[in-house]
Amino acid sequence: MILELMIALSVGAGLFGIGLYGALSQTNLVMIIMGVELILAAALVNLVAFWRYLHPDEPAGQMFVLIVMAVMAVEMAVGFAIAIARFRVRGSVEMEEARELKG
Amino acid sequence: MTVQMIFLAFFGGAAVWFGVVVFRTHSMVRSALALLFSQTAIGAMFLVMQAEFLGVLQIMMMATEMSVMAIFMVMFMMDPGGMGKMDMTHQKRLSLWAGGIGLLAALLLVWLPDWGPVALSVPGAHEQAADLGRELLGRSMLIFQSAGLTILTAMVAATMAAIVPNAEQRK
Repeated sequence: MILELMIALSVGAGLFGIGLYGALSQTNLVMIIMGVELILAAALVNLVAFWRYLHPDEPAGQMFVLIVMAVMAVEMAVGFAIAIARFRVRGSVEMEEARELKG
Repeated sequence: MTVQMIFLAFFGGAAVWFGVVVFRTHSMVRSALALLFSQTAIGAMFLVMQAEFLGVLQIMMMATEMSVMAIFMVMFMMDPGGMGKMDMTHQKRLSLWAGGIGLLAALLLVWLPDWGPVALSVPGAHEQAADLGRELLGRSMLIFQSAGLTILTAMVAATMAAIVPNAEQRK
C-alpha cells in the first residue's frame, strides 16, 4: 500500500517538473497556461493520494481537490481573457513581445 | 504487486508521458489533445484510488476545458498545425534546469519522509459523496462559498478584460 502512495506522489512530482519546464520555456501565452495546468494537476494527484492512503475518513481532503479544480478553471478563464485582449490589440500572444502590462 | 498498483502505475505513466508530449510536439492542436489525455489519465488514477466522484468530475471538466483550449490554440497560433516547425521556446537551458531541480526536489520530498501507517480501506462511493456534501455545506461552507465567489469574480474580470476598449477609454 505504501508503494501505491509512492507511485501516485512520484507521478505528481513528474507532472510538476514537466509543468515547470513548460511554463518557463514556452513563449506563447496559451502554452504557458498549459504548463500551469500541469503543475495544478500535480497538486490534484498529491491531494487525492494523501486523502486515499493517509486520511480516507476526512472529507476535507476531497474538498481541497474541488478548490484546486476551481483555481484551474479561474486561471484558464482569466488567462484566455488576457490572451483575447492581447491578440485584439497586438495580433499575437507571443510573450517575448510583451514588455509592458498596458494592452 | 496488486492489480490496483499496476493500474495506478499504468495511468500515472500515461499522464507523465502525455505531459511530455504537450511540449515536444510542434502541432498545437496535438499539444491540447495530449494535455487532455494526460488529465484523463489523472482522472483514471483517481478512479483507481477509489475517489469515484472526483475521478468522473476530473474527466468531465478537463474534457470541456481542453476542448476550449484547442479552439483557442487554432485561433491564436501563427502555426497551429505545426507544419512550419516553428520554435516557440526560449531560455531552454534555464527551464530544463529549473524543471529538473523541481522534479528532483519533489521526488526527494516523496521518498525520504516516513509517511506513517497507510489506510487499507476507504468509505464506499455513496458514503464519500454524502460526507463531502456535509463537509461542503457544514464546516467548509465559507471556503466553498469563497470559491464560488472567486469564480464569479473571474467570470466578470475575464469578460471585462476581453472587451475591446474604444479610443476614448484608451486615453
